[in-house]
Amino acid sequence: MNNRLLLKWKKYEAVGIITLRHQFAYITDLLLRSVFLLLILYIFIQLWQAAYQGDADAVIAGFSLQQIIWYLVFAEAITMAKPPIGAKIEEEVKSGDIAVRLIRPLSYVGFHYMSYMGEATLRFFIHLAVGSSIALSFMGAPEFGSGLAALFMLSIGAFTVAFMLHMIIALFAFWLEETRGLEFVMQKLQFTVGGMLLPLEMMPEWLQRICAWLPFQTVLYFPAKMAVAYDAKLLIPYLAIQWGWVVVLAVVVIMTYRTGVKKLHVNGG
Amino acid sequence: MGMYALEVQKLTKTFAVKQKKAGFKESVRSLFKPQWQVKEAVKNVDLLVKPGETVAFLGPNGAGKSTTIKMLTGILHPTSGDAQVLGCNPWKERGRLAFRIGTVFGQKSQLWYHLPPADSFELMSRVYELRRSDYLIRRDLLIERFELGAHLQTPVRKLSLGERMRCEIAVAFLHRPQLLFLDEPTIGLDVIIKQRIRELIAELNREEGTTVFLTSHDPGDIERLCKRAIIIHHGGVILDDPVDRLKREVLKYKTIRLKLREQEQQAMSFRMDGVSAAYEDSCTILLSVDTNVTRIETVLAFIVEHYTLEDVTIEDPPMEEVIKHIYASEKANLLLGAEGE
Repeated sequence: MNNRLLLKWKKYEAVGIITLRHQFAYITDLLLRSVFLLLILYIFIQLWQAAYQGDADAVIAGFSLQQIIWYLVFAEAITMAKPPIGAKIEEEVKSGDIAVRLIRPLSYVGFHYMSYMGEATLRFFIHLAVGSSIALSFMGAPEFGSGLAALFMLSIGAFTVAFMLHMIIALFAFWLEETRGLEFVMQKLQFTVGGMLLPLEMMPEWLQRICAWLPFQTVLYFPAKMAVAYDAKLLIPYLAIQWGWVVVLAVVVIMTYRTGVKKLHVNGG
Repeated sequence: MGMYALEVQKLTKTFAVKQKKAGFKESVRSLFKPQWQVKEAVKNVDLLVKPGETVAFLGPNGAGKSTTIKMLTGILHPTSGDAQVLGCNPWKERGRLAFRIGTVFGQKSQLWYHLPPADSFELMSRVYELRRSDYLIRRDLLIERFELGAHLQTPVRKLSLGERMRCEIAVAFLHRPQLLFLDEPTIGLDVIIKQRIRELIAELNREEGTTVFLTSHDPGDIERLCKRAIIIHHGGVILDDPVDRLKREVLKYKTIRLKLREQEQQAMSFRMDGVSAAYEDSCTILLSVDTNVTRIETVLAFIVEHYTLEDVTIEDPPMEEVIKHIYASEKANLLLGAEGE
């Protein structure tokens, strides 16, 4: 039995590794994208410096200027690391390449999950490196303490929740021809109520209460906030909320997939 | 497992296709009141294939070949009908069946584009849960057979189509499938590579007893590789015969395309039994040869003697022609009250 599980794991691990290696072919593309990060961070540094009136000791909603910039670095690194799963699945359905995936003794969702994680890993570290070098040169490094360890721990769950959220929409491609509209809405929700542009603490009370009940906060807010303002008391609850959402969303993904795959019309010769 | 590798009864697949007329007004109307038309891609297909058989599944584009293969591999759910593939119901037991079948899609690559084929081999050994030592022996055997040694470390995007197809087929054989589905494996390849690929598949069929189920719209694919041919048209089976008989009765026509050097020669007409000629343009003549009446060699010898040639090619009749002949001979049989075998 154990042996069987090991073989199963090896299979999905191999998918993750090969995707990661495949991504190295796109490394120039990734580096070019990170130029955009440079621009964004530069603008926000200017903006926040104005908000803090250049006072390095000022604190807004519990964050210092330095913390808020590093928060942005981590949130952006995660956002930009997320592979375009929606576009990929839509393309697989449109071209009929989905056939090649479905004939394998491999779960379709499992394949895409491992492939997503493999790709996200490389992208995350590249964007993290670029973002950090900018923040470091403008702001210097704060005392992270255990924050960086928490960041990595929470990133796994963060990418998993992100995968599930986008996968649900991506799977609508089994019925709809276009999923980009939904994808757009999902992305903007993460930018706003997910806490990418602003930590949730900076939002009005009523909105914060709504956000607490949504899965979006677990993707960007949890890891980025813990990285810059580590709080040992919050680590376990954050992990629990994150993986709780993973379970709920996984059920939705699997149900959507099972219904969709029966409806699927595989295109092409 | 029963005595059949493939057992298919009344397999049917219908699609609802949205109909839309041209124009903006029609686009808006279709948004609110879509018009659906039901298209029968496959209707009432019955098939029995024994283990180790080599079957060609032929038909023109859009005949329902790929849809049938997709149902038999469990990718598509049929509208009605039943199928047993190696004793499994493909759409209910797709995962279990997947370990025992192999597939090659001529128009879809299963290799990782930016990585060398060696990496795809490695991944497949994991996906099919092969034992390490078995995998290495198997891989080396296939590399040698398919002459892939030189290409194994080259990124797939840099391989020629022929080299890539050899890799695709070798990868499909890696887990020793009992049944191999080949969907247009030779599409777009040149004649020599087509022939080589057919030989390789035939060899592995002989040695390992792999059942081969091949779709193609190239009649040439069946002669070297398959013992039995099933022809499907408009979603239904119209012929299921040994290839030998098919060759004798339906594929007996060959087309010779002559390109002449000088224009004045067109005045010469062709008078030979079983040969009819048509001009494509002033320099090109198409000869349709009934090889049961006159051997192709005889015709060629005559041509070489009497014409100054620019170029000459011998072609199989296109699938559409073959189907026309089948319908024609069926009608003749009906008229004569003749019974099929």
